[in-house]
Amino acid sequence: MSFKGLPEGVGDRTQSFRDAGYFWEILRGLGITMKHLVRNLRHTDEMPTMQYPEEKRVYSERFRGRHRLTQREDGSVRCVACQMCSTVCPADCIEIEAAEHPDPSIEKYPESFTIDLLRCVYCGLCEEACPCDAIRMDTGIYEIAADSREKFVVDKDFLLNNDTDGTL
Amino acid sequence: MVKLTIDSQQIEVPDGTRLFDACAQVRGEALPHFCYHPDLSIAGVCRLCQVEIEGMPKLTIARNTIVRDEMVVFTRNDRVKRAVQQVLELHLINHPVDCPICDQAGECGLQDQYMEYGLYESAVGVADKVNKRKVEVIGPQVILDQERCVLCTRCVRFCNEVTKTGELGIFYRGDRAEIGTPPGVELANNYSLNTVDICPVGALTSRDFRFQKRVWMLHGTASVCPGCATGCNVRIDHEGDRIYRLKPRFNPEVNGRWMCDRGRLEYKAVHDEKRLSEPLIRRSGGLEAITWQQMWRELTGLLKPGGVSLALTNPHQSLEELVLFRRLALQLAGESQVFGSIAGTEIGEADDLLLAADRTPNRRALSWLELPEIESADLVARSADAHRQRILIYGGDPAADDTVAAALRNCAQLVYFGTHRNATAELATLVVPLSMWAEKDGLFVNGQGRIQRFARAVARPRHAREDWRLLADLLAHLTGEQKLVSLTEVRRFAAAELALAGSLDLSTLPATGLVPDATEQAPAGGER
Amino acid sequence: MPLLWASLAKIVFMVLMILLLLVVLIWAERKGSAFIQDRTGPNRAQIGGVRLAGLIHPIADVFKLLFKEDVRPTNRHEALYTLAPFIVMVVALSTYAVIPFGDYIEIGATRIPLVVADLNVGILYVLAIASLGTYGVVMAGWASNNKYSFLGGVRAGAQMVSYEIAMGLAIMGLVMIFSTLRVTEMVAGQGELLWGFLPKWGVVVQPLGFLLFITAVFAETHRNPFDLPEGESEIVAGFHLEYSSMKFALFFMAEYAHLVVSGALIAALFFGGYQIPWLPRPLLQQHAGLILPLVMGVTVLVSARFAVLFFRRARRERGKFGDARDREPILMGLNCAFAALLVLLAFGLQPWRIGPSGASLFATLIQIGAFLTKVVFFAWLFIWVRWTLPRFRYDQLMALGWKVMIPLGLANLVVTALVLALIA
Repeated sequence: MSFKGLPEGVGDRTQSFRDAGYFWEILRGLGITMKHLVRNLRHTDEMPTMQYPEEKRVYSERFRGRHRLTQREDGSVRCVACQMCSTVCPADCIEIEAAEHPDPSIEKYPESFTIDLLRCVYCGLCEEACPCDAIRMDTGIYEIAADSREKFVVDKDFLLNNDTDGTL
Repeated sequence: MVKLTIDSQQIEVPDGTRLFDACAQVRGEALPHFCYHPDLSIAGVCRLCQVEIEGMPKLTIARNTIVRDEMVVFTRNDRVKRAVQQVLELHLINHPVDCPICDQAGECGLQDQYMEYGLYESAVGVADKVNKRKVEVIGPQVILDQERCVLCTRCVRFCNEVTKTGELGIFYRGDRAEIGTPPGVELANNYSLNTVDICPVGALTSRDFRFQKRVWMLHGTASVCPGCATGCNVRIDHEGDRIYRLKPRFNPEVNGRWMCDRGRLEYKAVHDEKRLSEPLIRRSGGLEAITWQQMWRELTGLLKPGGVSLALTNPHQSLEELVLFRRLALQLAGESQVFGSIAGTEIGEADDLLLAADRTPNRRALSWLELPEIESADLVARSADAHRQRILIYGGDPAADDTVAAALRNCAQLVYFGTHRNATAELATLVVPLSMWAEKDGLFVNGQGRIQRFARAVARPRHAREDWRLLADLLAHLTGEQKLVSLTEVRRFAAAELALAGSLDLSTLPATGLVPDATEQAPAGGER
Repeated sequence: MPLLWASLAKIVFMVLMILLLLVVLIWAERKGSAFIQDRTGPNRAQIGGVRLAGLIHPIADVFKLLFKEDVRPTNRHEALYTLAPFIVMVVALSTYAVIPFGDYIEIGATRIPLVVADLNVGILYVLAIASLGTYGVVMAGWASNNKYSFLGGVRAGAQMVSYEIAMGLAIMGLVMIFSTLRVTEMVAGQGELLWGFLPKWGVVVQPLGFLLFITAVFAETHRNPFDLPEGESEIVAGFHLEYSSMKFALFFMAEYAHLVVSGALIAALFFGGYQIPWLPRPLLQQHAGLILPLVMGVTVLVSARFAVLFFRRARRERGKFGDARDREPILMGLNCAFAALLVLLAFGLQPWRIGPSGASLFATLIQIGAFLTKVVFFAWLFIWVRWTLPRFRYDQLMALGWKVMIPLGLANLVVTALVLALIA
């Protein structure tokens, strides 16, 4: 069968009578699905599905979870608000407001440091860019849940302490 | 003319040319440098612009050398490169590695040179560096960081040669040498922030801009400073809808490479808390927000031909607005009732550098349009018996003057177009929000009679429309004439009103602005 | 009056049966699709730890849908929008009226046929009512005032019109062979044996007719591979896109009610309905005293086996979840053991000495059981096919309907007519 006005190769597929009826292929397909069904019914334990909240996948040590801000020995924030992370961030999710630190040897610190966890793509570039090892993604937390968008914007205090589980 | 060879390329330059400039011509970019600045004298202290000249045993700095005939110069060979690297290493011996917290990062000469000539393996460890004083406040606008200074002396020369105030100097010698002010002296002249601009590193930083934003996040928009009649060319550095700083933009005809500290803070008014963002109407004693549509109804109800007893604008508005305002006001009020400004306001003291006595950007346009000044006593007198009549004020804040305020309080209806919720707005019957200079496109005519363009950098207030469009709409509504629908049309209209030469296109001005030919400029609209 | 009561009872039985089967089918769809795709499927909803392999989910769904907000499009056509789901549901249920789910039931001397309405135009009634379903779908698509819904409605309309012809043609062969339009007579006719050994089922005498019919039914119920009116990937959800809450539930339930009805129709027309091959009703009644204890014995053994499996599992998975769900295998095991015990105790009633009226009832129940088994199998076939085949493209659908099925249906009629003429 061919049609005028159609590009070459379109509409001129010929089907044998056997193919056109789809019949044997349908039976074969049904056979395959039934094979899976029976196998899974007989060996329910071997199914790859994980029962998530009870069972959890073990992630690598290098897994990038929710961010945290590291602290100096005195517990203050290591971050010097250089904004390398917010510059490199492809999702534009980090907002930093810098301020003058009373200690001239530190000079600059973040007055506010917020991350919008909904915008974050967990690429880890902020970690890479940080010259002070101030931001890390080594918490291993990935179950992040909240009941409003606002709660996903986490602030400096939250990131410094970071002692909650996934619930914000 | 002198013929010489630079990097095996023949070049001919005028007599007395500095080798530095000849090299720049050949290379397409300047030689590495810190101490050289085109508007300052030659110091030759940074030793970065070294080149090899055939026949001379040692390398020479190009800035101090005057070209000779048949000179053969190399700027890119290994010897030169090695020398520059070593000089840069010396510059960096005590330079702190605090780029992350340095405001200069991103526009830093040291960073730029280091990318090309860096050794990347410093012989001096971070712990061995000589620590000097950081965060030293040396003036109302400037902070000094001694560690970062490379002693190029640009700032010292600026204070000696440009402002001639000489606050800064080099103290001590050798590796203890540092920039500073003599005891009891502050870097407090009105041009101190230019030292921040010319500082190639982060030693001098602006207190106003300090830690506000990393410079690479800023976008620059070419504009004109609205602070005085000089009309310094500026670059508005903004991110999103927030302005972070103003920087001078080179215009040899107006401001060169400088601008004053006062002008640099002009942007603050744009982000003032008292900015008007929506139309207001007076109801039961207070001002209430209304929609633009409601405001338009009220406005067209209040502004009827001949129904306005006094119309006043001010020299802060753009040329386009003033042209449209004049046309509009002549429709609404009699010829003797339209005024450009209140006499004697916004006049300060001029200095002999850039700051003009007239602290408004566009007073020249008022005189071109023959919008007269009104004495404030006259204004008071006129308003006093205007309690059955309407006053239209476009821009400015005349009620800042108490006697004017008292007079305006008497008038029946005051229609105020303004940018801030100021004293005048508090007296108004109807308040229409206007954009400020950084929020719109327009033209200013500076004290020289130079027409200069300023461009929109940030968004105007949420509920305001373009100012020229509002005026054009009102004008079309009143006269029934065809509406002017683009700024190009408005500018064409303005050129006609000003009776500028027919060929003068206000939409395409040269970068340095334009002074209309005196013979072609027959001041003020013909059909008045 | 007794007949009226009997009719009412039959209607209630029929509706209940469909609604219950529908719940089971929804469960089977979810769980079956999961197992076919190597997933576990729904297994979370529970009552006191008992999850019944996901059978609690339909109950949870009912509550969810009942309490959900009824979100309605602003520019809907109110009357049509509200009416559409009801039409779809009512049509799905009323097709069933002419399909017998058993032979008859004897109460005293009266024999009550187990069919709601034994119409003399039964087959035509089925075709007529089935085509009414199109209205519901087209109305839903139109009234929603949504492009996708509208496209879904248009697709449904065109598809149903096209495949109705093939469906009618497929059944006509049966009509010719059994010389009747009554479904009851057709089912009764299929109890006979052909040449003494082959059950005279519709599928045996009309194999091509069966294939055409089942294909057309797939299209009429718009199930995969003919679910273009819903086509998630191109028109989101088609005609029921703008429906939520219980209105959506009606569409959803109607789809499965259609499955039950289609299964019943296929079983009745092509697979002998309630007839058990080689075991006609007189034989059943005669040997009730043998078959009943046999059935009971098998039930006891199966229940006991299940009980043992559950108890083993309980021991193996002790403390797996650390909550109420750990109790499930023990409860299920006890349940099975109790059932086994109960049937075992029923042997005390001496089932081998069953009387003639008891035998009649037993035969009826066995036949209803046989019918339901067939219905469930064909409903499952629908589900099975859905998770095997991809969706047709629209031109393929139309080409298959008009260029393949209708000519084949006509050819089938001619051949059937010729064979009948030769035999006569």
